[in-house]
Amino acid sequence: MIAKSKYIQDRKKLLGRLPTINIDVPDFIYIATDNARCPKSDVYVKEGDHVNCCELIGMRHGAFFDQPIHSTVSGTFLGFEEHYHRSGKKVKFIKIQNDHLDTLDPSVKTRTKEEVEALTKEDFTQIIKDCASVGLGGSSFPTYIKFQTKEKIDTIIINGIECEPYVTADHRLMLEEPENVIEGLELIMKAFSAKRGLICVKNKYNDIKQVYKELLRRYPNSNIELCPVGNFYPQGWEIAMIKGATGINVKSGELPAKYGIMNFNVSTVAGIRQAILFNKPVIERLIAVTGDGINYPSNFKVRVGTPIKYLIEKCGGYKNPDIPKVFILGGPMMGASLPTDDTIATKTVTSVIVLNKPNEEKEEPCIRCGSCVYSCPVGLEPVQIMNAVKAMDKDRVKKLNPLKCIECGLCTYSCTSSIKVTDFVRRAKIIAKLP
Amino acid sequence: MEIIKETSPHIKRKDNLLWMMLDVIIALLPTIVLSFIAYGVHYLKNYLISVGVMCFAEFVFVLIKNHIPYDGKKHPLKERLLKGLKEYRVTDFLVPAVSALIYSLIMPAGASWYAVLIGAIFGIVVGKLIFGGTGNNIFNPAAVGMVAAKLCFGSTYVNLNPSFADVSVSATPLGNINGLAFSNINDYSLLDLFLGRIGGTSGEAFKIAILAGFVYLLIRRDIDWRITLSYIGSFAFMMLFAGIIVHSKLPEVGVFHFLAYQLLSGGLLFGAVFMITDPVTSPINAPARWIYGALAGVLTVIIRLFGALPEGVGFSILIANACASALEYHAWSSSRWKKWHIIALSSIIVLPTIIMVLALLFGGKIA
Repeated sequence: MIAKSKYIQDRKKLLGRLPTINIDVPDFIYIATDNARCPKSDVYVKEGDHVNCCELIGMRHGAFFDQPIHSTVSGTFLGFEEHYHRSGKKVKFIKIQNDHLDTLDPSVKTRTKEEVEALTKEDFTQIIKDCASVGLGGSSFPTYIKFQTKEKIDTIIINGIECEPYVTADHRLMLEEPENVIEGLELIMKAFSAKRGLICVKNKYNDIKQVYKELLRRYPNSNIELCPVGNFYPQGWEIAMIKGATGINVKSGELPAKYGIMNFNVSTVAGIRQAILFNKPVIERLIAVTGDGINYPSNFKVRVGTPIKYLIEKCGGYKNPDIPKVFILGGPMMGASLPTDDTIATKTVTSVIVLNKPNEEKEEPCIRCGSCVYSCPVGLEPVQIMNAVKAMDKDRVKKLNPLKCIECGLCTYSCTSSIKVTDFVRRAKIIAKLP
Repeated sequence: MEIIKETSPHIKRKDNLLWMMLDVIIALLPTIVLSFIAYGVHYLKNYLISVGVMCFAEFVFVLIKNHIPYDGKKHPLKERLLKGLKEYRVTDFLVPAVSALIYSLIMPAGASWYAVLIGAIFGIVVGKLIFGGTGNNIFNPAAVGMVAAKLCFGSTYVNLNPSFADVSVSATPLGNINGLAFSNINDYSLLDLFLGRIGGTSGEAFKIAILAGFVYLLIRRDIDWRITLSYIGSFAFMMLFAGIIVHSKLPEVGVFHFLAYQLLSGGLLFGAVFMITDPVTSPINAPARWIYGALAGVLTVIIRLFGALPEGVGFSILIANACASALEYHAWSSSRWKKWHIIALSSIIVLPTIIMVLALLFGGKIA
């Protein structure tokens, strides 16, 4: 087939309607010490120490920022254990035995309305930094850095598009906690003194659209609008979303802040609200456990640090265990596949997807049909990049500009010959960075 | 339970090369059936020779490509064969089969068996396999084979008429018009041309069957409509000007009749649907595909009007194939429209049109 892939089947119909299940917090909770952005870390507690829920127990050190580690339950610190992290590496996890009391740390305190009113943008930045708020859509980029921008921001955009197939965590959050989302957006608008707030959703999600239309009627002076955008993939990519919502074309390599736009994921907004109002880090999040290899696909509200195996047990285990499976954290287009299910639900895990892979389609020779070129949302020519990588031609690779690639995966998705084109583009990105 | 680790993305569109090739074969079926009805055993000869030769050549190629590399040991023949056979897939049969079917349809039914045989060997070996097989060929194998056979054995072709044609026209319509002599265009009814009630190459004549295949391919999205459109569009654009000039010199030839005659005769439609759209030999991005189609269309007009051969589809496609890699050269290729694309596209159409108009007005005598 020689065609552009724009609309991909999203397979959310069922799970988007199932309510979220609050599951019991397991007896042991695991908290990652390092992550993809922070290779080093310090832990402040010793073995056998008692920790409170939301207590600061360590610090991750990234390239240009530090990130506090908080305990998400109260209990006893038992030491370290190695598990797979979302990034695909084995990482040391802090093991905490849960005492099921959820004793809150004294640092968690509710701010009064007056206190919140008095907060400046600098205070916001500090609170968000202390609460370790990161991009919960999967990027895990520290949110406070976004707040440090010097540009004048007049539009705040909330990304509730969730264009990846299968994933329904943001969808359920938007339906179940709409007030939190709107309140969080109001707080952010106040911090930036922005004039306009936009909540972006896919146009086809009528349930979300109805809820927000009604609720926004109750916030008449908030200047918040619901902004339905296209249904295609990758609409959730910030540049595509800004184009769809405001018509502004952000050039590649520029930050949206230059155009007076700041965008956040819905889950991040709910997290920021919690940090500002209660001084509380993100200790819970919504995770969709789904895919055709799962017995009962479900939405869960999960304490950060819960082992994924525990969630899969709650879903009734795997379906057809004799068929080989792919175990994915994140969406099926961009998510990471892990070699085992021995992993932990960290803050940035939006979903667990288990897909049946009965027999892999064999790679055929490229027939240059051009589907990848037509599908590429940034206008690259993936097949030419692939040929340049195969020819080990560095100048040609650089000329083809692979660094613009956002790794959306549409080139592999649309390949007629089942070639993993995206892998070659990833290699090209490494080659292009060489001097 | 086994967990596979793989790189993202983990889902794939529901299509593959196998279906794409099957689709082309399905689209060719009406033309093949009509050719059988029209020429019977003469077409059967084309069909068997070309499919047999091309698929066998590809089979041998697969065996050679997957040979056991020299490692100092002697391997029995059976082991060597089995190693190659293991790599032989369905697509290794279907891809040359598509080329072979197209080749059998553009060869005249009256071609001698040795012409078909040598053309088929030349087409698959020189046109495809020496470049490295599927996906690596620069030229359309069917067109290479057809042109080679025509150049070597063109004089041995005999003219056959389809079984349902009641006209007693001996030569193919385009062959009857030498150079710029257009006065006997009116001898051909457009309906006869459309239904294929004329002598000529076997498959190319049956426009109804070709259009049916075209619609199927469009629905299944196995061809790029851009190439077909720009090919036929640039051809029609130039032929319209030619028609106006011919009409002004020979008032009995109508402009519409001239244009429709040119569109319906020869292998234009077949080439536009099945040959030039071959993705392997066309450029990779949309603007380059528009330019590629226009280039082939313009060349077809020039060869038809001024060339030594009556028919230019095969040649024009081969020349456009040769230019395809230049159109997508990495230094200037782009999947979005750039200024040079528009300049190239418009100059490729406009400059030859001006030259053609001048040549028709002041050059040869139109009779």
